Amino acid sequence: DGGEALPAPQNLSVHSANMKHLLMWSPVVLPRETVYYSVEYQGEYESLYTSHIWIPSKWCSPIEDAECDVSDDITATVPYNLRVRAILGSQTSAWSILEQPFNRNSTILTPPGMEVSRNGFHLVIELEDLGPQFEFLVVYWRRELDTKEHAKVLRRGGIPVHLETMEPGAPYCVKAQAQVKAIGRNSAFSQAECVEVQGEALPL
Amino acid sequence: LQTLHLGSCVIITNLQKIQSEFSEIRDSVQANDQNIDFRVLRNAGSLQDTEPSDRCCLLRHLLGLYLDRVFRNYQTSDHHTLRKISSLANSFLTIKKDLQLCHTYTTCHCGEEATEKYRQILSHFEQLEPQAAAVKVLGELDILLRWMKETE
Repeated sequence: DGGEALPAPQNLSVHSANMKHLLMWSPVVLPRETVYYSVEYQGEYESLYTSHIWIPSKWCSPIEDAECDVSDDITATVPYNLRVRAILGSQTSAWSILEQPFNRNSTILTPPGMEVSRNGFHLVIELEDLGPQFEFLVVYWRRELDTKEHAKVLRRGGIPVHLETMEPGAPYCVKAQAQVKAIGRNSAFSQAECVEVQGEALPL
Repeated sequence: LQTLHLGSCVIITNLQKIQSEFSEIRDSVQANDQNIDFRVLRNAGSLQDTEPSDRCCLLRHLLGLYLDRVFRNYQTSDHHTLRKISSLANSFLTIKKDLQLCHTYTTCHCGEEATEKYRQILSHFEQLEPQAAAVKVLGELDILLRWMKETE
């Protein structure tokens, strides 16, 4: 140990999509050594009322990777300060603090993955399970002249849901949007997917 | 999410999440309470029997008490408890900001009743040492959450 100070991690950034928040940084590389890291956070409350208090991240105090899933730490829609330091044995580096506080309302919301299928005459959808904070707006219609859209709100993904009993003769189409009430935002709608029941349209 | 009707001030919050966060630390917090025969929130009636127009003001004061003198003074070295208190505090801060908006638009009027009710609560609170009072009132969080739920 040459007595040199352990370098602090650099280039902190947060990548957030669908309410999964990943803090990343450039690794501290030392030949033949395993460097660990420790991550801490501070919500707006702490920075306003108890600025000396930093809270160890649930999953990354310590961690070996140069990234940390802070989704379980960021539990309110307020700005959060995040900081990281390197650890090597008994040595610790200085703290590196994320330049801009992170607020979960900036997360990128992508159109939900979905599987549209038919089970006999039944139109069925199964949406991607994005976690408990997500609801979904599902819009479906029978593609013909006077297309009338129907809408349904699904409280969670990951399970097949019956939308409609179909009649032969025209395709039925479906699109979906993810909604996160905790941050008051929605994703864009997914591409529409259509299925059709074979056979003659039943006489009226 | 729940909609709280506080007179003409209406706010949306996730009481269920706040309740579940607190339930993870309730036992350990209440176990630290040395003043088990003493009450702060319970003695002052409830938010529900406060005039609707006064509820916003009373809740704003109560949240201020939690933010200024409860979360701040609660001492713990346990990381899990620290995280839960941070989550509660930042959620309360979010609600307080919403109430502040109502206050800005004069829909958070402080009537005599709310002022008196809060004065009672504060006088009970201040009969205890700061840290003991923080433990006591944090342990009584269920009462505040039930009050808030009653305004749904």
